[in-house]
Amino acid sequence: MISNPIIQVKDLCQNLDENHFILNKINLTIGSGEFLALVGQNGAGKTTLAKHFNGLLKPTSGKVLVDNLNTKYVKVSELAQKVGYVFQNPDHQIFHNSVEKEISFGLKYLNLPAEEVKRRTDDALKAVGLVDYRYAHPYSLSRGQRQRVALASVLVLKPNVLVLDEPTTGLDYRESMQIMNMIRSLNNQGHTIIMITHDMSLVSTFAKRVVVLNKGEILLDGPVREVLSHQEILSETFLEIPPISRLADKLSVIGIPKNLLTVEEVYRALCDVRGAEK
Amino acid sequence: MTVANEYIPGNSPIHSMTPLAKIIWTSVVMILALLFNHPLYLLALFFSVLLVAKIAGVLKVLISTLKSLFLFSLILILLQVLFTKEGEVIFYITEYLPVTKNAVYLGTAMGLRMMAAVLSFLIFLLTTRFKDIIQTLTNNLKLPIDYVFIFMTALRFIPTFLNEIKQVKEAQSCRGCSLDGWNPLVKIKAYAAVALPLVLVSLQKADKLAMAMETRGCGSGPRTCYREQKMSAADLSLVFISILLAVFAVLARLNGYGTYQY
Ligand SMILES: Nc1ncnc2c1ncn2[C@@H]1O[C@H](COP(=O)(O)OP(=O)(O)O)[C@@H](O)[C@H]1O
Ligand SMILES: [Mg+2]
Repeated sequence: MISNPIIQVKDLCQNLDENHFILNKINLTIGSGEFLALVGQNGAGKTTLAKHFNGLLKPTSGKVLVDNLNTKYVKVSELAQKVGYVFQNPDHQIFHNSVEKEISFGLKYLNLPAEEVKRRTDDALKAVGLVDYRYAHPYSLSRGQRQRVALASVLVLKPNVLVLDEPTTGLDYRESMQIMNMIRSLNNQGHTIIMITHDMSLVSTFAKRVVVLNKGEILLDGPVREVLSHQEILSETFLEIPPISRLADKLSVIGIPKNLLTVEEVYRALCDVRGAEK
Repeated sequence: MTVANEYIPGNSPIHSMTPLAKIIWTSVVMILALLFNHPLYLLALFFSVLLVAKIAGVLKVLISTLKSLFLFSLILILLQVLFTKEGEVIFYITEYLPVTKNAVYLGTAMGLRMMAAVLSFLIFLLTTRFKDIIQTLTNNLKLPIDYVFIFMTALRFIPTFLNEIKQVKEAQSCRGCSLDGWNPLVKIKAYAAVALPLVLVSLQKADKLAMAMETRGCGSGPRTCYREQKMSAADLSLVFISILLAVFAVLARLNGYGTYQY
Protein backbone atom coordinates (compact mmCIF):
# COMPACT_ATOMS: atom_id res chain seq x y z
CA MET A 1 0.00 0.00 0.00
CA ILE A 2 1.16 3.51 -0.78
CA SER A 3 1.05 5.47 2.44
CA ASN A 4 0.84 9.02 1.16
CA PRO A 5 -0.99 9.06 -2.17
CA ILE A 6 -0.82 12.28 -4.17
CA ILE A 7 -2.42 11.06 -7.40
CA GLN A 8 -5.10 8.38 -7.51
CA VAL A 9 -6.44 7.10 -10.82
CA LYS A 10 -9.53 4.95 -10.60
CA ASP A 11 -10.95 2.97 -13.54
CA LEU A 12 -9.90 5.72 -15.91
CA CYS A 13 -11.12 5.34 -19.49
CA GLN A 14 -10.52 7.81 -22.29
CA ASN A 15 -12.44 7.13 -25.47
CA LEU A 16 -12.22 8.61 -28.93
CA ASP A 17 -15.71 7.31 -29.67
CA GLU A 18 -17.77 4.37 -28.49
CA ASN A 19 -15.59 1.73 -30.11
CA HIS A 20 -12.11 3.21 -29.85
CA PHE A 21 -10.42 3.77 -26.54
CA ILE A 22 -7.08 5.46 -25.94
CA LEU A 23 -6.96 4.45 -22.29
CA ASN A 24 -8.79 1.45 -20.90
CA LYS A 25 -9.52 0.94 -17.17
CA ILE A 26 -6.35 2.46 -15.76
CA ASN A 27 -5.85 2.04 -12.01
CA LEU A 28 -2.81 3.71 -10.53
CA THR A 29 -1.81 5.25 -7.22
CA ILE A 30 1.23 7.47 -7.02
CA GLY A 31 2.70 8.30 -3.66
CA SER A 32 4.15 11.65 -2.68
CA GLY A 33 7.91 11.70 -3.30
CA GLU A 34 8.04 8.85 -5.81
CA PHE A 35 10.25 8.86 -8.92
CA LEU A 36 8.07 7.13 -11.48
CA ALA A 37 8.83 6.46 -15.11
CA LEU A 38 5.94 6.05 -17.53
CA VAL A 39 7.18 4.00 -20.47
CA GLY A 40 5.69 2.46 -23.58
CA GLN A 41 6.07 2.65 -27.33
CA ASN A 42 4.83 5.58 -29.42
CA GLY A 43 1.06 5.84 -29.32
CA ALA A 44 0.72 3.70 -26.18
CA GLY A 45 -1.17 6.52 -24.44
CA LYS A 46 1.53 7.89 -22.12
CA THR A 47 0.90 11.55 -22.92
CA THR A 48 -2.84 11.02 -22.77
CA LEU A 49 -2.58 9.44 -19.32
CA ALA A 50 -0.22 12.15 -18.02
CA LYS A 51 -2.54 14.91 -19.22
CA HIS A 52 -5.16 13.53 -16.84
CA PHE A 53 -2.87 14.16 -13.87
CA ASN A 54 -3.28 17.93 -14.10
CA GLY A 55 -6.75 18.10 -15.59
CA LEU A 56 -5.77 18.95 -19.17
CA LEU A 57 -7.91 15.98 -20.11
CA LYS A 58 -10.99 14.91 -18.20
CA PRO A 59 -11.84 11.19 -17.97
CA THR A 60 -14.54 9.76 -20.22
CA SER A 61 -15.32 7.52 -17.27
CA GLY A 62 -13.65 6.83 -13.96
CA LYS A 63 -11.91 9.53 -11.98
CA VAL A 64 -8.58 11.11 -11.16
CA LEU A 65 -7.89 12.53 -7.70
CA VAL A 66 -5.00 14.90 -7.11
CA ASP A 67 -4.40 15.52 -3.43
CA ASN A 68 -7.96 14.19 -2.95
CA LEU A 69 -9.41 16.77 -5.35
CA ASN A 70 -11.34 15.44 -8.33
CA THR A 71 -9.65 16.96 -11.40
CA LYS A 72 -13.00 17.19 -13.11
CA TYR A 73 -14.02 20.13 -10.96
CA VAL A 74 -10.75 22.09 -10.80
CA LYS A 75 -9.28 24.45 -13.42
CA VAL A 76 -5.94 23.49 -14.97
CA SER A 77 -4.39 26.82 -13.95
CA GLU A 78 -5.28 26.09 -10.33
CA LEU A 79 -4.07 22.49 -10.42
CA ALA A 80 -0.80 23.89 -11.78
CA GLN A 81 0.19 24.66 -8.20
CA LYS A 82 -0.03 20.98 -7.33
CA VAL A 83 0.99 19.30 -10.57
CA GLY A 84 3.49 20.95 -12.90
CA TYR A 85 3.57 19.71 -16.48
CA VAL A 86 6.60 20.28 -18.71
CA PHE A 87 5.85 19.73 -22.39
CA GLN A 88 8.09 18.17 -25.00
CA ASN A 89 8.50 21.40 -26.96
CA PRO A 90 9.58 24.36 -24.77
CA ASP A 91 8.91 26.84 -27.60
CA HIS A 92 5.17 26.52 -27.08
CA GLN A 93 5.40 28.62 -23.96
CA ILE A 94 8.38 30.93 -24.34
CA PHE A 95 7.49 34.54 -25.20
CA HIS A 96 9.40 36.91 -22.92
CA ASN A 97 12.65 38.62 -23.81
CA SER A 98 14.59 37.47 -20.78
CA VAL A 99 14.92 34.19 -18.96
CA GLU A 100 14.02 35.84 -15.67
CA LYS A 101 10.74 37.33 -16.95
CA GLU A 102 9.90 34.08 -18.65
CA ILE A 103 10.30 32.10 -15.46
CA SER A 104 8.39 34.47 -13.20
CA PHE A 105 5.43 34.82 -15.58
CA GLY A 106 3.24 32.25 -13.83
CA LEU A 107 3.70 33.99 -10.47
CA LYS A 108 1.81 37.08 -11.69
CA TYR A 109 -1.40 35.18 -11.23
CA LEU A 110 -0.76 34.38 -7.58
CA ASN A 111 -0.63 37.96 -6.24
CA LEU A 112 2.54 37.31 -4.26
CA PRO A 113 4.64 40.04 -2.60
CA ALA A 114 7.64 41.18 -4.68
CA GLU A 115 10.27 39.57 -2.40
CA GLU A 116 8.52 36.23 -2.66
CA VAL A 117 8.45 36.47 -6.46
CA LYS A 118 12.15 37.27 -6.49
CA ARG A 119 12.99 34.47 -4.05
CA ARG A 120 11.04 31.85 -5.98
CA THR A 121 12.55 32.98 -9.30
CA ASP A 122 16.06 32.79 -7.82
CA ASP A 123 15.37 29.32 -6.45
CA ALA A 124 14.06 28.10 -9.78
CA LEU A 125 17.02 29.59 -11.67
CA LYS A 126 19.38 27.84 -9.28
CA ALA A 127 17.52 24.53 -9.50
CA VAL A 128 17.93 24.42 -13.29
CA GLY A 129 21.43 25.90 -13.31
CA LEU A 130 20.63 29.01 -15.33
CA VAL A 131 21.64 31.71 -12.82
CA ASP A 132 24.23 33.08 -15.26
CA TYR A 133 21.62 33.37 -18.00
CA ARG A 134 19.12 35.39 -15.96
CA TYR A 135 19.03 38.30 -18.44
CA ALA A 136 19.70 36.31 -21.60
CA HIS A 137 17.10 36.10 -24.35
CA PRO A 138 15.50 32.64 -24.19
CA TYR A 139 15.88 32.19 -27.94
CA SER A 140 19.64 32.72 -27.66
CA LEU A 141 19.86 29.56 -25.53
CA SER A 142 20.31 25.99 -26.74
CA ARG A 143 17.37 23.62 -26.96
CA GLY A 144 18.41 21.90 -23.75
CA GLN A 145 18.68 25.21 -21.93
CA ARG A 146 15.25 26.28 -23.21
CA GLN A 147 13.89 22.99 -21.91
CA ARG A 148 15.31 23.97 -18.53
CA VAL A 149 13.67 27.42 -18.77
CA ALA A 150 10.37 25.64 -19.35
CA LEU A 151 11.03 23.41 -16.36
CA ALA A 152 11.87 26.42 -14.18
CA SER A 153 8.76 28.30 -15.25
CA VAL A 154 6.70 25.41 -13.90
CA LEU A 155 8.89 25.00 -10.80
CA VAL A 156 8.24 28.56 -9.54
CA LEU A 157 4.68 27.54 -8.74
CA LYS A 158 6.13 25.01 -6.25
CA PRO A 159 4.08 22.04 -7.41
CA ASN A 160 4.47 18.83 -5.43
CA VAL A 161 4.31 16.75 -8.62
CA LEU A 162 6.34 17.35 -11.77
CA VAL A 163 5.27 15.63 -14.98
CA LEU A 164 7.98 15.65 -17.65
CA ASP A 165 6.97 14.56 -21.13
CA GLU A 166 10.03 13.09 -22.84
CA PRO A 167 12.43 15.57 -21.21
CA THR A 168 15.49 14.33 -23.11
CA THR A 169 14.28 14.01 -26.72
CA GLY A 170 16.36 16.12 -29.05
CA LEU A 171 19.12 16.60 -26.47
CA ASP A 172 22.65 15.26 -26.68
CA TYR A 173 24.03 12.96 -24.00
CA ARG A 174 25.60 15.74 -21.92
CA GLU A 175 22.43 17.87 -21.91
CA SER A 176 20.31 14.80 -21.14
CA MET A 177 22.45 13.97 -18.14
CA GLN A 178 22.31 17.58 -16.94
CA ILE A 179 18.53 17.67 -16.99
CA MET A 180 18.22 14.17 -15.51
CA ASN A 181 20.53 15.07 -12.62
CA MET A 182 18.43 18.17 -12.00
CA ILE A 183 15.30 16.07 -11.97
CA ARG A 184 16.94 13.65 -9.55
CA SER A 185 17.91 16.41 -7.15
CA LEU A 186 14.38 17.84 -7.32
CA ASN A 187 13.16 14.38 -6.35
CA ASN A 188 15.59 14.35 -3.43
CA GLN A 189 14.16 17.69 -2.32
CA GLY A 190 10.74 16.05 -2.07
CA HIS A 191 9.13 16.59 -5.48
CA THR A 192 7.17 13.69 -6.91
CA ILE A 193 8.52 12.98 -10.40
CA ILE A 194 6.55 11.42 -13.23
CA MET A 195 8.78 11.07 -16.26
CA ILE A 196 7.52 9.95 -19.66
CA THR A 197 10.17 8.29 -21.77
CA HIS A 198 11.02 5.31 -23.88
CA ASP A 199 14.71 5.35 -23.02
CA MET A 200 15.03 2.33 -20.76
CA SER A 201 18.62 3.05 -19.76
CA LEU A 202 17.52 6.42 -18.34
CA VAL A 203 14.79 4.57 -16.50
CA SER A 204 17.14 2.02 -14.99
CA THR A 205 19.58 4.73 -13.91
CA PHE A 206 17.18 7.28 -12.47
CA ALA A 207 13.67 5.98 -11.79
CA LYS A 208 12.56 3.98 -8.81
CA ARG A 209 9.23 2.74 -10.09
CA VAL A 210 8.17 1.94 -13.65
CA VAL A 211 4.71 1.79 -15.17
CA VAL A 212 4.65 0.17 -18.60
CA LEU A 213 1.76 1.17 -20.84
CA ASN A 214 0.81 -0.84 -23.88
CA LYS A 215 -2.13 -0.05 -26.16
CA GLY A 216 -3.87 2.00 -23.48
CA GLU A 217 -3.49 -0.54 -20.69
CA ILE A 218 -1.02 -1.00 -17.87
CA LEU A 219 1.18 -3.97 -18.70
CA LEU A 220 3.58 -3.87 -15.77
CA ASP A 221 3.86 -1.73 -12.66
CA GLY A 222 6.56 -2.09 -10.01
CA PRO A 223 10.08 -1.26 -8.89
CA VAL A 224 12.60 -0.85 -11.74
CA ARG A 225 14.41 -4.08 -10.90
CA GLU A 226 11.30 -6.16 -10.92
CA VAL A 227 9.91 -4.69 -14.16
CA LEU A 228 13.23 -5.15 -15.98
CA SER A 229 13.34 -8.79 -15.01
CA HIS A 230 10.12 -9.49 -16.97
CA GLN A 231 11.88 -9.37 -20.31
CA GLU A 232 9.46 -11.53 -22.27
CA ILE A 233 6.55 -9.27 -21.35
CA LEU A 234 8.63 -6.18 -22.07
CA SER A 235 9.55 -7.45 -25.52
CA GLU A 236 5.85 -7.06 -26.44
CA THR A 237 6.28 -3.30 -26.18
CA PHE A 238 9.39 -3.07 -28.37
CA LEU A 239 11.18 -1.10 -25.67
CA GLU A 240 14.92 -1.32 -25.89
CA ILE A 241 16.15 -2.96 -22.70
CA PRO A 242 19.59 -1.79 -21.50
CA PRO A 243 22.30 -4.20 -22.73
CA ILE A 244 23.54 -5.04 -19.25
CA SER A 245 20.06 -6.14 -18.15
CA ARG A 246 19.74 -8.23 -21.29
CA LEU A 247 23.09 -9.85 -20.52
CA ALA A 248 21.99 -10.59 -16.96
CA ASP A 249 18.81 -12.13 -18.32
CA LYS A 250 20.79 -14.37 -20.71
CA LEU A 251 23.25 -15.32 -17.98
CA SER A 252 20.48 -16.35 -15.62
CA VAL A 253 20.94 -19.89 -17.01
CA ILE A 254 24.23 -20.12 -15.15
CA GLY A 255 22.61 -18.91 -11.96
CA ILE A 256 22.99 -15.14 -11.71
CA PRO A 257 19.88 -13.13 -10.69
CA LYS A 258 17.71 -11.68 -13.47
CA ASN A 259 17.06 -8.33 -11.86
CA LEU A 260 20.46 -6.66 -12.11
CA LEU A 261 20.79 -3.09 -13.33
CA THR A 262 24.47 -2.14 -13.43
CA VAL A 263 27.72 -3.58 -14.79
CA GLU A 264 29.03 -3.62 -11.26
CA GLU A 265 26.17 -5.81 -10.04
CA VAL A 266 26.56 -8.27 -12.89
CA TYR A 267 30.31 -8.44 -12.29
CA ARG A 268 29.77 -9.22 -8.59
CA ALA A 269 27.15 -11.85 -9.39
CA LEU A 270 29.51 -13.49 -11.89
CA CYS A 271 32.33 -13.52 -9.32
CA ASP A 272 29.96 -15.10 -6.79
CA VAL A 273 28.95 -17.82 -9.26
CA ARG A 274 32.60 -18.57 -10.09
CA GLY A 275 33.53 -18.57 -6.40
CA ALA A 276 30.80 -21.09 -5.69
CA GLU A 277 32.03 -23.31 -8.53
CA LYS A 278 35.57 -23.50 -7.09
CA MET B 1 -15.48 26.80 -34.76
CA THR B 2 -13.82 23.79 -36.22
CA VAL B 3 -12.92 23.92 -39.89
CA ALA B 4 -12.49 20.76 -41.88
CA ASN B 5 -10.42 21.53 -44.96
CA GLU B 6 -7.94 18.69 -45.14
CA TYR B 7 -8.03 16.04 -47.82
CA ILE B 8 -9.91 12.94 -46.73
CA PRO B 9 -8.96 9.85 -48.73
CA GLY B 10 -11.86 8.14 -50.40
CA ASN B 11 -12.94 6.54 -53.66
CA SER B 12 -16.21 8.28 -54.40
CA PRO B 13 -16.92 9.52 -57.95
CA ILE B 14 -16.17 13.04 -56.69
CA HIS B 15 -12.73 11.97 -55.46
CA SER B 16 -11.77 10.48 -58.79
CA MET B 17 -12.60 13.58 -60.84
CA THR B 18 -9.81 15.83 -61.96
CA PRO B 19 -9.31 18.98 -59.88
CA LEU B 20 -10.00 21.18 -62.89
CA ALA B 21 -13.52 19.80 -63.26
CA LYS B 22 -14.14 20.38 -59.59
CA ILE B 23 -12.74 23.91 -59.74
CA ILE B 24 -15.12 24.72 -62.60
CA TRP B 25 -18.02 23.21 -60.67
CA THR B 26 -17.14 25.28 -57.57
CA SER B 27 -16.89 28.44 -59.66
CA VAL B 28 -20.25 27.77 -61.29
CA VAL B 29 -21.85 27.26 -57.88
CA MET B 30 -20.42 30.61 -56.83
CA ILE B 31 -21.66 32.33 -59.99
CA LEU B 32 -25.13 30.87 -59.51
CA ALA B 33 -25.13 31.89 -55.83
CA LEU B 34 -24.29 35.48 -56.76
CA LEU B 35 -26.63 35.58 -59.76
CA PHE B 36 -29.87 34.74 -58.00
CA ASN B 37 -31.36 36.42 -54.98
CA HIS B 38 -34.58 34.43 -54.69
CA PRO B 39 -34.41 32.30 -51.52
CA LEU B 40 -36.10 29.34 -53.19
CA TYR B 41 -33.61 29.23 -56.07
CA LEU B 42 -30.75 29.51 -53.61
CA LEU B 43 -32.27 26.78 -51.44
CA ALA B 44 -32.32 24.47 -54.46
CA LEU B 45 -28.67 25.34 -55.15
CA PHE B 46 -27.77 24.68 -51.51
CA PHE B 47 -29.42 21.27 -51.59
CA SER B 48 -27.66 20.36 -54.81
CA VAL B 49 -24.35 21.13 -53.08
CA LEU B 50 -25.40 19.01 -50.09
CA LEU B 51 -26.18 16.19 -52.49
CA VAL B 52 -22.67 16.37 -53.92
CA ALA B 53 -21.27 16.28 -50.38
CA LYS B 54 -23.34 13.18 -49.72
CA ILE B 55 -22.06 11.47 -52.87
CA ALA B 56 -18.49 12.36 -51.92
CA GLY B 57 -19.09 10.92 -48.44
CA VAL B 58 -17.89 14.04 -46.65
CA LEU B 59 -21.23 15.19 -45.25
CA LYS B 60 -20.38 13.88 -41.77
CA VAL B 61 -17.12 15.82 -41.63
CA LEU B 62 -18.89 18.99 -42.71
CA ILE B 63 -21.59 18.82 -40.03
CA SER B 64 -19.71 20.94 -37.48
CA THR B 65 -18.79 23.53 -40.12
CA LEU B 66 -22.39 23.49 -41.29
CA LYS B 67 -23.56 24.22 -37.77
CA SER B 68 -21.28 27.26 -37.50
CA LEU B 69 -22.38 28.51 -40.93
CA PHE B 70 -25.98 28.07 -39.88
CA LEU B 71 -25.41 30.18 -36.79
CA PHE B 72 -23.78 32.84 -38.93
CA SER B 73 -26.77 32.80 -41.28
CA LEU B 74 -29.12 33.33 -38.34
CA ILE B 75 -27.06 36.39 -37.39
CA LEU B 76 -27.37 37.66 -40.98
CA ILE B 77 -31.15 37.28 -40.82
CA LEU B 78 -31.23 39.04 -37.46
CA LEU B 79 -29.22 41.95 -38.86
CA GLN B 80 -31.61 42.25 -41.78
CA VAL B 81 -34.55 42.28 -39.39
CA LEU B 82 -32.92 45.13 -37.47
CA PHE B 83 -32.19 47.26 -40.52
CA THR B 84 -34.82 46.48 -43.15
CA LYS B 85 -38.10 48.18 -42.47
CA GLU B 86 -39.72 48.19 -45.93
CA GLY B 87 -42.25 45.69 -47.17
CA GLU B 88 -45.04 43.63 -45.76
CA VAL B 89 -44.88 43.13 -42.00
CA ILE B 90 -45.15 39.55 -40.76
CA PHE B 91 -45.22 40.30 -37.03
CA TYR B 92 -43.88 42.75 -34.47
CA ILE B 93 -41.23 41.88 -31.89
CA THR B 94 -41.89 45.19 -30.17
CA GLU B 95 -43.87 48.18 -31.39
CA TYR B 96 -40.76 49.68 -32.99
CA LEU B 97 -39.27 46.47 -34.31
CA PRO B 98 -41.39 45.02 -37.07
CA VAL B 99 -40.27 41.85 -38.78
CA THR B 100 -40.85 42.32 -42.50
CA LYS B 101 -41.09 39.67 -45.16
CA ASN B 102 -38.33 41.46 -47.07
CA ALA B 103 -35.93 41.27 -44.16
CA VAL B 104 -36.45 37.56 -43.61
CA TYR B 105 -36.17 36.77 -47.32
CA LEU B 106 -33.09 38.93 -47.81
CA GLY B 107 -31.37 37.45 -44.74
CA THR B 108 -32.21 33.90 -45.77
CA ALA B 109 -30.97 34.52 -49.29
CA MET B 110 -27.67 35.91 -48.02
CA GLY B 111 -27.23 33.01 -45.62
CA LEU B 112 -27.94 30.36 -48.27
CA ARG B 113 -25.69 32.10 -50.76
CA MET B 114 -22.80 32.03 -48.31
CA MET B 115 -23.42 28.42 -47.26
CA ALA B 116 -23.61 27.13 -50.84
CA ALA B 117 -20.41 28.92 -51.86
CA VAL B 118 -18.40 27.94 -48.77
CA LEU B 119 -19.57 24.32 -48.82
CA SER B 120 -18.80 23.79 -52.49
CA PHE B 121 -15.28 25.07 -51.94
CA LEU B 122 -14.83 22.84 -48.87
CA ILE B 123 -16.05 19.80 -50.79
CA PHE B 124 -13.43 20.57 -53.41
CA LEU B 125 -10.69 20.78 -50.75
CA LEU B 126 -11.85 17.68 -48.90
CA THR B 127 -11.89 15.49 -51.99
CA THR B 128 -8.77 16.71 -53.78
CA ARG B 129 -5.16 16.00 -52.96
CA PHE B 130 -3.01 19.04 -52.17
CA LYS B 131 -0.45 18.22 -54.83
CA ASP B 132 -3.16 17.64 -57.46
CA ILE B 133 -4.61 21.08 -56.80
CA ILE B 134 -1.19 22.68 -57.21
CA GLN B 135 -0.58 20.77 -60.42
CA THR B 136 -3.91 21.86 -61.89
CA LEU B 137 -3.49 25.50 -60.94
CA THR B 138 0.02 25.71 -62.38
CA ASN B 139 -0.17 23.37 -65.38
CA ASN B 140 -3.77 23.65 -66.58
CA LEU B 141 -4.58 27.17 -65.46
CA LYS B 142 -1.03 28.49 -65.97
CA LEU B 143 -0.93 30.41 -62.68
CA PRO B 144 2.57 31.28 -61.38
CA ILE B 145 3.76 28.55 -58.99
CA ASP B 146 5.04 30.99 -56.35
CA TYR B 147 1.62 32.52 -55.75
CA VAL B 148 -0.18 29.21 -56.00
CA PHE B 149 2.19 27.81 -53.41
CA ILE B 150 1.67 30.71 -51.00
CA PHE B 151 -2.10 30.34 -51.21
CA MET B 152 -2.15 26.57 -50.94
CA THR B 153 0.34 26.48 -48.07
CA ALA B 154 -1.79 28.97 -46.14
CA LEU B 155 -4.79 26.68 -46.58
CA ARG B 156 -2.83 23.57 -45.78
CA PHE B 157 -1.54 25.06 -42.52
CA ILE B 158 -4.91 26.03 -41.01
CA PRO B 159 -5.37 22.70 -39.18
CA THR B 160 -1.71 22.73 -38.13
CA PHE B 161 -2.13 26.17 -36.59
CA LEU B 162 -5.34 25.23 -34.82
CA ASN B 163 -3.44 22.33 -33.28
CA GLU B 164 -0.55 24.64 -32.43
CA ILE B 165 -2.93 27.08 -30.69
CA LYS B 166 -4.27 24.21 -28.61
CA GLN B 167 -0.80 23.15 -27.55
CA VAL B 168 0.27 26.69 -26.64
CA LYS B 169 -2.92 27.17 -24.60
CA GLU B 170 -2.27 23.92 -22.75
CA ALA B 171 1.36 24.81 -22.08
CA GLN B 172 0.43 28.24 -20.72
CA SER B 173 -2.34 27.00 -18.47
CA CYS B 174 0.09 24.44 -17.06
CA ARG B 175 2.20 27.24 -15.68
CA GLY B 176 -0.73 28.87 -13.94
CA CYS B 177 -1.83 31.26 -16.67
CA SER B 178 -5.60 31.16 -16.51
CA LEU B 179 -7.04 30.87 -20.00
CA ASP B 180 -9.79 28.43 -19.21
CA GLY B 181 -11.89 30.82 -17.15
CA TRP B 182 -14.97 32.70 -18.31
CA ASN B 183 -13.85 36.20 -17.37
CA PRO B 184 -13.36 38.04 -20.71
CA LEU B 185 -10.99 40.62 -19.17
CA VAL B 186 -8.63 37.94 -17.93
CA LYS B 187 -8.88 36.22 -21.30
CA ILE B 188 -7.88 39.36 -23.21
CA LYS B 189 -4.89 39.87 -20.91
CA ALA B 190 -3.83 36.28 -21.40
CA TYR B 191 -4.04 36.76 -25.17
CA ALA B 192 -0.38 37.77 -25.47
CA ALA B 193 0.69 34.56 -23.75
CA VAL B 194 -0.92 32.60 -26.58
CA ALA B 195 -0.34 34.90 -29.54
CA LEU B 196 3.39 35.52 -29.05
CA PRO B 197 4.59 31.91 -28.76
CA LEU B 198 2.31 31.08 -31.68
CA VAL B 199 3.94 33.73 -33.89
CA LEU B 200 7.42 32.60 -32.85
CA VAL B 201 6.70 28.92 -33.46
CA SER B 202 5.06 29.76 -36.80
CA LEU B 203 8.07 31.74 -37.94
CA GLN B 204 10.30 28.79 -37.07
CA LYS B 205 7.99 26.55 -39.05
CA ALA B 206 7.98 28.83 -42.08
CA ASP B 207 11.75 29.01 -42.00
CA LYS B 208 12.06 25.23 -41.90
CA LEU B 209 9.55 24.83 -44.71
CA ALA B 210 11.46 27.26 -46.92
CA MET B 211 14.68 25.37 -46.25
CA ALA B 212 13.08 22.01 -46.96
CA MET B 213 11.73 23.34 -50.26
CA GLU B 214 15.04 24.80 -51.31
CA THR B 215 16.97 21.64 -50.53
CA ARG B 216 14.54 19.79 -52.78
CA GLY B 217 15.31 22.13 -55.63
CA CYS B 218 12.21 24.31 -55.55
CA GLY B 219 12.70 27.37 -57.76
CA SER B 220 15.69 25.94 -59.61
CA GLY B 221 14.01 25.62 -62.98
CA PRO B 222 10.86 24.69 -64.85
CA ARG B 223 8.69 22.18 -63.04
CA THR B 224 7.59 18.89 -64.56
CA CYS B 225 5.14 16.37 -63.19
CA TYR B 226 5.39 12.63 -62.79
CA ARG B 227 1.68 12.09 -63.37
CA GLU B 228 -0.17 14.07 -66.02
CA GLN B 229 -3.84 14.71 -65.34
CA LYS B 230 -6.19 13.70 -68.11
CA MET B 231 -9.86 14.68 -68.28
CA SER B 232 -12.10 11.59 -68.36
CA ALA B 233 -15.54 11.41 -69.96
CA ALA B 234 -17.15 11.95 -66.54
CA ASP B 235 -14.99 15.04 -66.01
CA LEU B 236 -15.86 16.47 -69.39
CA SER B 237 -19.56 15.91 -68.85
CA LEU B 238 -19.43 17.58 -65.42
CA VAL B 239 -17.65 20.56 -66.94
CA PHE B 240 -20.15 20.62 -69.80
CA ILE B 241 -23.17 20.44 -67.48
CA SER B 242 -21.71 23.08 -65.14
CA ILE B 243 -21.02 25.52 -67.95
CA LEU B 244 -24.37 24.83 -69.57
CA LEU B 245 -26.03 25.47 -66.22
CA ALA B 246 -24.15 28.74 -65.83
CA VAL B 247 -25.09 29.92 -69.32
CA PHE B 248 -28.69 28.87 -68.80
CA ALA B 249 -28.74 30.65 -65.44
CA VAL B 250 -27.41 33.87 -66.93
CA LEU B 251 -30.05 33.73 -69.65
CA ALA B 252 -32.77 33.02 -67.09
CA ARG B 253 -31.58 35.88 -64.97
CA LEU B 254 -31.59 38.25 -67.95
CA ASN B 255 -35.20 37.27 -68.58
CA GLY B 256 -36.08 38.10 -65.00
CA TYR B 257 -36.29 34.68 -63.39
CA GLY B 258 -34.78 33.87 -60.04
CA THR B 259 -34.97 37.35 -58.60
CA TYR B 260 -37.10 38.47 -55.79
CA GLN B 261 -38.43 42.00 -55.94
CA TYR B 262 -37.57 43.65 -52.67
N1 LIG C 1 -7.02 14.17 -29.92
C1 LIG C 1 -6.86 12.94 -30.41
N2 LIG C 1 -7.61 12.52 -31.44
C2 LIG C 1 -7.45 11.29 -31.95
N3 LIG C 1 -6.56 10.40 -31.51
C3 LIG C 1 -5.78 10.75 -30.49
C4 LIG C 1 -5.88 12.04 -29.89
N4 LIG C 1 -4.96 12.11 -28.91
C5 LIG C 1 -4.33 10.93 -28.91
N5 LIG C 1 -4.81 10.10 -29.85
C6 LIG C 1 -4.39 8.71 -30.10
O1 LIG C 1 -4.21 8.09 -28.86
C7 LIG C 1 -3.07 7.26 -28.85
C8 LIG C 1 -2.17 7.62 -27.71
O2 LIG C 1 -1.55 8.85 -27.93
P1 LIG C 1 -0.44 9.43 -26.93
O3 LIG C 1 -1.00 9.48 -25.57
O4 LIG C 1 0.02 10.72 -27.50
O5 LIG C 1 0.71 8.35 -27.04
P2 LIG C 1 2.22 8.41 -26.49
O6 LIG C 1 2.40 9.68 -25.74
O7 LIG C 1 2.35 7.18 -25.64
O8 LIG C 1 3.09 8.32 -27.70
C9 LIG C 1 -2.41 7.44 -30.21
O9 LIG C 1 -2.71 6.29 -30.97
C10 LIG C 1 -3.06 8.65 -30.80
O10 LIG C 1 -3.21 8.50 -32.19
MG1 LIG D 1 3.71 11.35 -26.14
